[in-house]
Amino acid sequence: MSTKGTQIPDWLKVPFAGITPAPTQEKGQDLFPTGNWRSIRPVYRDKLPPCNNACGTNEKIQGYLDLVKRGKYLDAYALIKEDMPFPSVTGRVCYHPCEQACNRGKYDEAISIRAVERFLGDLGQALAKDVVKAGPSNGKKVAVVGSGPAGHSAAYQLARLGYQVTIFEKSPKAGGLNRGGIPDWVLPQDILDREIERLVELGITIKTNVEVGKDVTWDQLKKDYDACVLAVGLIDPNSVRAEGEGKEGVHYGLPFLRDIGMGTSKVKLGARVAVIGGGNTAIDCAREALRQGAVEVTMITVEANPQEMPAVPEDLHDMMEEGVELMHGRAVTAVLGNGRVEALQLHPAKFSGAINASPITVDKQAKPERFAVDNVIIAVGQRASLKWLPDEFKTERGTIKIDRFGRLGDTNFFAAGDVVQLGSGQPLMVVNAVGDGKRVAFNLDKVLRGQKLEPRTIPVDVIFDLNRMNMTYFPHFPRVKQELLPPKSRKKTQEEVIQAYTEEQAVEEASRCFSCGTCNACDNCYLVCPEPCIVRDVRSNGLYKILVDYCKGCRVCIEECPTGCLEGVPELDFDTGVVRMDTAFAISPGLHGRQAQELKNLGDRAPKDI
Amino acid sequence: MATATEAKKRMVRINGCVASAQAAKYADVDVIAAYPIRPYTATMMALAQMVANGELDAEYIVADSEHSQLSISHGASSSGARVFTGSSGVGVQFAYELYSPISGSRMPVQMMIADRTLDPPGDFGSEHTDALSTRDMGWLMGWSCDAQEAFDNHLIAYRIGEDPRVLLPQMVCQDGFFVSHITGDVELPDMGQVKEFLPPYKHPYPLDPRHPVSHGPQIMPEQGPPLQLERARAMEESMPVIEQVHDEFAKIFGRRYDPWVEEYMTDGADVVFFLQGAHAVTAKFAIQHMRDRGMKVGLIRLRTIRPYPTERVREVLSKFKVVGVIETNMGLGSVSSGGVLYSEVCAALYESPQKPLVFSFMAGMGGEAIVLKEFYWMAEKMLEVQKRGKIEKRTHWVGFEH
Repeated sequence: MSTKGTQIPDWLKVPFAGITPAPTQEKGQDLFPTGNWRSIRPVYRDKLPPCNNACGTNEKIQGYLDLVKRGKYLDAYALIKEDMPFPSVTGRVCYHPCEQACNRGKYDEAISIRAVERFLGDLGQALAKDVVKAGPSNGKKVAVVGSGPAGHSAAYQLARLGYQVTIFEKSPKAGGLNRGGIPDWVLPQDILDREIERLVELGITIKTNVEVGKDVTWDQLKKDYDACVLAVGLIDPNSVRAEGEGKEGVHYGLPFLRDIGMGTSKVKLGARVAVIGGGNTAIDCAREALRQGAVEVTMITVEANPQEMPAVPEDLHDMMEEGVELMHGRAVTAVLGNGRVEALQLHPAKFSGAINASPITVDKQAKPERFAVDNVIIAVGQRASLKWLPDEFKTERGTIKIDRFGRLGDTNFFAAGDVVQLGSGQPLMVVNAVGDGKRVAFNLDKVLRGQKLEPRTIPVDVIFDLNRMNMTYFPHFPRVKQELLPPKSRKKTQEEVIQAYTEEQAVEEASRCFSCGTCNACDNCYLVCPEPCIVRDVRSNGLYKILVDYCKGCRVCIEECPTGCLEGVPELDFDTGVVRMDTAFAISPGLHGRQAQELKNLGDRAPKDI
Repeated sequence: MATATEAKKRMVRINGCVASAQAAKYADVDVIAAYPIRPYTATMMALAQMVANGELDAEYIVADSEHSQLSISHGASSSGARVFTGSSGVGVQFAYELYSPISGSRMPVQMMIADRTLDPPGDFGSEHTDALSTRDMGWLMGWSCDAQEAFDNHLIAYRIGEDPRVLLPQMVCQDGFFVSHITGDVELPDMGQVKEFLPPYKHPYPLDPRHPVSHGPQIMPEQGPPLQLERARAMEESMPVIEQVHDEFAKIFGRRYDPWVEEYMTDGADVVFFLQGAHAVTAKFAIQHMRDRGMKVGLIRLRTIRPYPTERVREVLSKFKVVGVIETNMGLGSVSSGGVLYSEVCAALYESPQKPLVFSFMAGMGGEAIVLKEFYWMAEKMLEVQKRGKIEKRTHWVGFEH
């Protein structure tokens, strides 16, 4: 009997014949019952897709595209409504920073996100009852001054949080810039009307023809409401400070559009119209001028070329298609004519510093040009009208002074939208005002609940690098184009220029989404796991589970994850983890066990967030 | 678990392959891993029929090679299934990688071997080298000499291998053709007898998704030796279990086998043949023939080669003057330059105060029968050596010498 008298030391004893404990562990089987080969562990870590990140109100774009892909339109609509009260509006008017950020743009063509948003928005419009409900009442009253994008968004979120909201609107109809700043052929009025109705359905009171400072004062707001959101926008048009600007036939961009929008316009345009300015409002004015009967419309900009114009490229393109001429590098120095505009005096001009954000240098020495026109529409920006506001809350640039949470000092007044964003560098666009309104609503809620306002400190991992995804899974596929009315006929009507997606088109376009960095339940990990140790109990987004007791850390699921959601996390990062084999050979018996123990005791490693 | 068709004890006339298949059926195996190679194929053919016609409820898996057969068997056994597999000749070699892991993880897989000569270049005949080449891999191993013994050995081997004190795989070997394809009377037992003798297989740590455990993970160098020591212990500690099981088998089935060696006409014998397997049948006839003519010849048949019954072999063989080992296997360049049995016989006898003279015969090679005149030729060689008191050489090639 060769084994007679043999002894196995305790630390090398096996739990049962043939069953080997995981090495370097006292109780290997307990810690990791299928062996400790793994040095990295696959973990589902959703990144922030660049579209969500770029969106002014951080819509969960990847999320709703994925739901559209699966035909779950109502769920998609509900998801978009978390951040955006009126997808039917932004689905038409948004300058879609999401599409500029879209990773697919680096690959073939960006996803037509706005078109899908419009598809969902229109679906929501058709619902007899909206999916969004007002929150249970908390008995607190909030006033929102202004019913434009920021006021609308703030009121909407506050109603969802359970506040009793009253909106004050100066104009006879609610909608603010959505109504007054956007022509019908971009956003039909009935679409906006339906969205305003949705606010009323949420229990919000809208008082029109009420002007702050006149019909309701600062002190009244302070006294009658627990808090107030000021979203008064920029209503006074900027002047070009040209001689004779007050002549008849000279109009200003926003009032021009607003009066048409409100149905109160008395403007009759002549055949030749000049539009001064190079932004989106100027483009809308030029195109609206055509629809109001102008024959020759010329856009005069200080910007030296179309690329410098702070305008959405598609809109510029559509405008050119409709026959608007561009004249660059000039400023209006005088409006000529006998009581009524007959011509413009133009001088060469350029921005003195950064384009669009610096004083204009006009070359007065040069020979002036005379440009004959019947009407002029000046669209060079707006400013706020803040006479009613206590001086302590006014900034030098004529906006409301707020802290980083949108709050006016330590009052319960908050401000949002263009009236605070002007000059901040952020484009003054609908979606940014919506995001502003949303954030301010949540901050206001925190203040009223006595919570501390703290800046967000968790860094977000936005996935910009295609190398973090597995691009072999994504064939090239062109973008689904939205139909446009033909330029010749459309420029004479108020009909919507851009046509909606069909259901098939929306699904096809949504299916192009990479779901950058985010689990979209594609089943790839489940299929490729050789062990297999990935469970798929419920087939909906993200609901996979890795049975770490079985995972060998082979990385196949990580490598084959199309979206880059799966990450390999070093096992040592888990405080509950098993210490791996570190060295191949120990120089004395049992050394590995002791080494492992020491490794485990190495300092106080902060457990990392999984 | 499946239950084989209830059956009463009955006599049938079947060959060794079918006897093995019947034994697997009576053992109510759960998983069968098959891959064809002559001559054992007939066993798998019979089992396929049994599964197909519902006599046996088992997973019948056709593997893509012998290596896969054994891999399947390893996994199935790890999950707690009673596994039956088998092979012959080069098929046994192809699966070689798996023999040590299976015994190392202590999985009581059973493998039926119907011996076949190894290549070159493709001889169908029986030679024990296929199974014997794996003899040190931690498998229990022994040869049957007829269909009845084959049937019995399968049941006995399951009972031993699955004993929690043992947990080792078993190779239950029979000579190709001489046992596998020769028909004989076999008593098939009453199912109740089998149930009494062979309890269901129950591994204490089966692979089960609900209770994960690891079998055979990568280990550290210092963890290897204790595992080897455990396996060596299991092999040694199986010996009392083997004896106990043979005892119980005799009580329940009425057939008593000596677990280690069978002695035939050794009373008063001076010279004995020492062999394994089917040639014992012809040897017995030859010995009877010689005894009738006054030659003091006997036979020792080794029934279990792993674990090797060293004490028993010494004790038995010390009684004789000359031992002639009939190899029926190849041990090229071995101690005797013949087969592999010789050296273990000699080693067992080394400490004996009374050592017989030992030499060996290369006989029955390539599947050739050992005929009566060859037994006479070998017996005369042994008697000459006895007379001379000295061996002529360690190995004789029978049929190639005068």
